[in-house]
Amino acid sequence: MYFRFGAALVLAVLIAVSGIAIEKRCLTLRRALSRERYRYEVVRDLYARQRLLTQQLGAPARLFEVLESERRELIARKPSESRDSRMANGPVTTRRD
Amino acid sequence: MSIEPLEPEVAASRGESEELEAAEVSSSDRPIGRDQVPLESPRGNRRRGLIVVFLALGGLAIGLRLVQLQVIEHERLAARGTRQKSYVEVLPAPPGDLFDRDGRVLATSVVTRSLFVVPEKIADPWPCAQRLARALHIDPDRVCERLAQQSDKKFAWIKRRLTPDDEQAVASLGLPVGGWGLREEYVRRYPQGPLAAHVLGLRDVDGNSRGGLEQTLGEVLRGRPGRRTLYRDARGRVIDVPDDTDVPPQPGQSVVTSLDSIIQLYAERELDRVVEQWKPRGVCALVEDPSTGEILAMASRPTFDPNRPEGVAEEAWMNRTIAWMYEPGSTFKPFVVAGAIERRRIRPDEEVDCAGGETHLGSRLMHDTHPYGLLSVADVLVKSSNIGMSRIAARLSNKELFSTIATFGFGRVPGSGLPGEIAGLLRPVKEWSSYSNASLSIGQELAVTPLQMISAQSSLANGGTLISPKLVLRTLRSTAEAETRLPLATSVVSRAADHETARWLVEGPMRDVVLRGTGTRAKLPGYSVFGKTGTAQKLDPQTHTYSADKYVSSFLCGAPAAAPRVIVLVVVDEPSVGGSHYGGTVAAPAAAEILRQTLAYLRVPRDESRGEPHDVTAARPVP
Repeated sequence: MYFRFGAALVLAVLIAVSGIAIEKRCLTLRRALSRERYRYEVVRDLYARQRLLTQQLGAPARLFEVLESERRELIARKPSESRDSRMANGPVTTRRD
Repeated sequence: MSIEPLEPEVAASRGESEELEAAEVSSSDRPIGRDQVPLESPRGNRRRGLIVVFLALGGLAIGLRLVQLQVIEHERLAARGTRQKSYVEVLPAPPGDLFDRDGRVLATSVVTRSLFVVPEKIADPWPCAQRLARALHIDPDRVCERLAQQSDKKFAWIKRRLTPDDEQAVASLGLPVGGWGLREEYVRRYPQGPLAAHVLGLRDVDGNSRGGLEQTLGEVLRGRPGRRTLYRDARGRVIDVPDDTDVPPQPGQSVVTSLDSIIQLYAERELDRVVEQWKPRGVCALVEDPSTGEILAMASRPTFDPNRPEGVAEEAWMNRTIAWMYEPGSTFKPFVVAGAIERRRIRPDEEVDCAGGETHLGSRLMHDTHPYGLLSVADVLVKSSNIGMSRIAARLSNKELFSTIATFGFGRVPGSGLPGEIAGLLRPVKEWSSYSNASLSIGQELAVTPLQMISAQSSLANGGTLISPKLVLRTLRSTAEAETRLPLATSVVSRAADHETARWLVEGPMRDVVLRGTGTRAKLPGYSVFGKTGTAQKLDPQTHTYSADKYVSSFLCGAPAAAPRVIVLVVVDEPSVGGSHYGGTVAAPAAAEILRQTLAYLRVPRDESRGEPHDVTAARPVP
């Protein structure tokens, strides 16, 4: 009788401990899932911000100003440069043997 | 069943000792059998009876209360309990983006956090307002005033769209738990700045769309907010977030527009130059692909930056290409000629008497800028003779002229779908006067929007098919639901002019306008450009007569003439400086420059050798 009582008690304790372990594991996984979701949201926000920044930096209006100012500089510089000075900087084309 | 004897002291005090003793003797000496009842007094029985009744009534009361709580008021109380325990958090849906046709982002959304407080939990507003104001660089008096005004409320905004520095500053203040919070919001950003501001519109601080495609496509872009149930303890702290109650937010659909940022930029830069050079009241430009009706660029001045809409002048909100109308003047003439040729009221090879530059229409004197005698129909357009046009229109009845004008889409909304789009002004025939026929032939007595004008000219350029202008190409996440919600992505097509007539007009007279007429400033080396100038006097609202110094100058051009890829319209409202008001001088250079840059950008092959345009008028047979 004592053995049966003890066995039943152990069984009940084992079931309870297993339940607690499963519950803890479940909570751990839920915490991990929640953390991943949070990370995903942070990364998504970061992506949106970075994309906004790249689009702002690569906006045609901005690039055109840079390109055109360089072009204007080139046009302004070309007539002032003499043929000799260009030759002094090296030939324009090179031949590979 | 045994009955407990009463305590001796109690019994004695009540004068019942004899009965008690007898009962004690009988209970101790004899076992109580079935036929033997304990000796009890009638008062004791009554007392026990009362206790039983009280207990029964108590039980009944508890039972009834349970029935009331568990059955009758179950739903209300369950809902109340859930309300106290749980909190439904609305998860905002990210709005869809707007792209140009090459995938450049025109409008997107990023998450920001906004600070709110619970005023009822703030006992002393002034110190709190001072701390908040110091951290967020805002006016403490206004914060305190707001907190005091809403002291019995549970929510009050303190500052919207915090920067990361602001967030850190607020967190370091150590405000009371439950007395403040940060709420995530989506803020709209326009990475291209003011580019195409009128087409895009904007969203206000609460995310409501205002004007442009943001308003038209509001439903498509908005998305559907989600919700999440949070369980809280008695102190309001979140203790659980069950997954099964989550309804994830559905992001809005992203939409690809027909705009091309590069071409849009070309157009806007030219408009800025026009504004600088001619100081007009307003100016606008449109670039369209005549074969599809797709708007490649739509620009208007004055304009605004949708990222900083504060303090924008009232007139800057108006998109002049769709919400402003003007008398088109000479740019209208090709449509009247097309109607007259189609109805066989005139042949293209006929000559028209232009009366030496001056003629009377009843009491009204009509004159040309230069005196002309006999001019061919083509030359009437090339020289932009008003008298010649009135003679051509006179061969059409009023009904035929009205029908011709309406066929090209004037007098009705073009159908771009943008909010604020107007239909222009085309009066019914019964309201016409005896001068109306002649006036309409030279683009007076009616008002058109620039979008109507470019759509109509596109119909000539593409061989006579009137296509409704299109600003939206597709959604990025193409679902059946989204497709049906995109009315702007479809085109309405109708026949406006005979193909041969349209081709002759474009490759003949309109080509000659650029080669030897009023639009020579629009010549482009290597391309056969066609065009039409327009210079219209404005009506003076005070005198109700045409003003002598207020004009609308316009120029419409396209290329290549044989198969137009692009058509450009520039309309300048009241150029005030520069000494000229002619469309060929004010608007033509800007339109030509936009056309040149666009053709080069689209890599449209040159159709003519540089500086040697061939005579297309001679090459094309007249219809």
